[in-house]
Amino acid sequence: MSIISLKNINYTYPLEEKQTIHSFSLDLEKGCVYGLTGANESGKTTICNIIRGFIPELYKGELTGEVMIKGKNINDYNIGDLATIIGYSFQNPFTQLSGVKDTVYEEIAYGMENIGVSRDKMIQKVNEILKMFQLEDLIDKNPFELSGGQKQRVAIASVVALDPEIIILDEPTSQLDPKSTEDIFEIIQLLKKQGKTILLVEHKVDLLAAYCDEILLISCGELVMQGPVKEILSDPKVVEYGGQLPQVALYFIKKAEANGSSASQVPLTVQEVYDHLNKDGEA
Amino acid sequence: MDSRIGNLYPSSKFTFIILIILLSMFVPGFIFQYMIFLFIFLISLFSGTAIKFLATFMKSIPILIIFIFIFQVFLIVNEDSQQIWAFIHFSQIGLMTSLTMTSKIVAISSSIIWFFQVTRVKDIVYALEQSGVSQKVTFVIASTIQLIPQMLNLSRTIADAQKSRGIETEGNLFVRAKAFIPMIGPLVLSSIQQIEERVLALESRAFSSKAKKTSIYELKKQKFDYIIMIFCILVLIVYIVWRIKL
Amino acid sequence: MSYLSLKNVSYSYANGYEAVQNMNLDFDLGESAAIIGQNGAGKTTAVKLMNRLLIPTEGEVFVNNLSTKKATTAEISKMIGYVFQNPDDQIFQDTIYKEIAYGLKNQKLESAVMKNKVEAAAEICGLKESLNEHPYNLPYSKRKFITIAAVLATDPNVIILDEPTAGQDRESIERLGKLISHLANQNKTVITITHDMEFVVREFKRVIVLANKQKRRDASPREIFWDKELLKLSDLKQPFICQLADTLGYKGILTIEELLERDKNETYYN
Repeated sequence: MSIISLKNINYTYPLEEKQTIHSFSLDLEKGCVYGLTGANESGKTTICNIIRGFIPELYKGELTGEVMIKGKNINDYNIGDLATIIGYSFQNPFTQLSGVKDTVYEEIAYGMENIGVSRDKMIQKVNEILKMFQLEDLIDKNPFELSGGQKQRVAIASVVALDPEIIILDEPTSQLDPKSTEDIFEIIQLLKKQGKTILLVEHKVDLLAAYCDEILLISCGELVMQGPVKEILSDPKVVEYGGQLPQVALYFIKKAEANGSSASQVPLTVQEVYDHLNKDGEA
Repeated sequence: MDSRIGNLYPSSKFTFIILIILLSMFVPGFIFQYMIFLFIFLISLFSGTAIKFLATFMKSIPILIIFIFIFQVFLIVNEDSQQIWAFIHFSQIGLMTSLTMTSKIVAISSSIIWFFQVTRVKDIVYALEQSGVSQKVTFVIASTIQLIPQMLNLSRTIADAQKSRGIETEGNLFVRAKAFIPMIGPLVLSSIQQIEERVLALESRAFSSKAKKTSIYELKKQKFDYIIMIFCILVLIVYIVWRIKL
Repeated sequence: MSYLSLKNVSYSYANGYEAVQNMNLDFDLGESAAIIGQNGAGKTTAVKLMNRLLIPTEGEVFVNNLSTKKATTAEISKMIGYVFQNPDDQIFQDTIYKEIAYGLKNQKLESAVMKNKVEAAAEICGLKESLNEHPYNLPYSKRKFITIAAVLATDPNVIILDEPTAGQDRESIERLGKLISHLANQNKTVITITHDMEFVVREFKRVIVLANKQKRRDASPREIFWDKELLKLSDLKQPFICQLADTLGYKGILTIEELLERDKNETYYN
């Protein structure tokens, strides 16, 4: 059974004539990392909001179709309790902080306070999360005084503290420098190892290629391509739909074109090329 | 902030200043009230907040006091007013009135200033929550306090952004008035924008969960808290009994 | 002297934090550059010194031979335009047209001239169709172009862009690229802070690496991205194609085209 299943979703924002999402169907399997990519305004964030139930709970508008979370219709969940099943973290590090806590330690505990976890359990979990996200040095700092990258790590940590099975990350690295971006991707790797299902919205396809299992490409509100990373991110059709291909893939595609051969299943990352060369070396 | 006073339960400190406020209001004359100021100053010395206390006090209260004195002594006409020049008079009654009035203001304001300097907002919020005040109310208090410095930062950034477009934000009143809309506009618009994002972020932390909330932060009443409370209540009872007997 | 020049500039914030240390930089007209480095390296402080949002605590900044110590920010802003990272820090008008035109108001232009300037700026930023819309009707990524257009309309000689590629899709990044080369053709200087190394390789011939409050190196992308010691010290990485070339054993390659060319030669000599 799919952990998330969208069936024929159509959605129009209030006061707008144009449909933002059309006939969108999608099944996400437990424990996989999905990279959701596509041009700006193609509907990526809207899809995340539908999966999380913010649409139609907080945004009105016209929504048809069915959202199933763990085999149960989303309407049968209480929106507050969904936080323990689906974690959701956003682009802007600043607005994600609760704004009511003055230390990183308490910020991370905030979600657990809201669902009434006992204090002892909370302390244990916070310490575990601090270690996992390497935030131990920052526990007494005011979250607002952290750098963008640190804030983003705290924000994701606070969501993961609720132990959700599914985690949606909407462009978590767009405001971050390369080092902080890498830190976030390391965390994604860790979460995958813990068996979390991850939906990652991201423009940086070179990183998606390295960390995702599957790619979902969305264009003008429609799911136009979906499949294993290898298959999608080596297909020039991605560019036609407003997406982009990893640099390494682009090179191999062009190289194949120059040689007149077909370009299916090209390497996508430097690591892949490196591993391939070294294997040949051993052989 | 001295940790021993800082770590007292907020309601102990609150009971203490309520006692001070009641006494300042009902004890006649002005000497007792001015003594209270000295007393509070001594306590803030002990709390390690003396400099902060004086700074805050001096910035706000003396202007008010001087204003009341001028008004009462020289401007308002009483039975015993003696004209000095044109509309300026001198009045002994006015002097007494202003002494009683200002002494109360000094006593009450100094105790309130002291209270907020030795009590963390987070402790107040915690105490309110424990005493059953709605989560929504405490959320508003806590978030307002946290967000004020953020708004200040944001307004600084906006000022920089507008200055880079050639908008003068410093100078005389006219120049500042012209910069008002370019300054306030983005502040309001982006604050609204941020509220929308923050609602989603809070919801992602189970804000609207119906469960009974817990707190990782903990503040326990100490023996000393009970001593202070009992002491304050005793003093108040003794004073009332004494006044009635008189 | 160069049009824009930082001479032994240091800057410490009021709280004593030193953000820029003894920096020397020169920019001639028509000479664009990318500034790269980790957060906290001093990038934003450095550019704020250029348009006099900050005044050096030591050293001097000259714009067209005028020291920023002797000018107002409004005067400098006519020569140096600065597009902030977050567009929402400056948008306040109720139409995109008015927002772009705002900086021109003080220039006392005829309305037809003003209209031309606004439309020209909107055109390169892809906003011509949306001039009568409310800025907040557009998504964040497009709002960024409104603030770029607002700066372009005032026609400064130097344009500073703070992280223009953050959160932008391929099409918008391509638009930014075109915009930068268009400005270079008009003999303008574009100084861009960015974390996008692929963007740097495509659009800039000069790269300035800042690390730990100081200028570490000021050179061509090829020199910078193949100075692995420098990158390591500055916590930066090679662009993906350089990494790939390195893995394949080719040094000094910067783009896919160069790598393909190299392949051809290899095959030829084989």
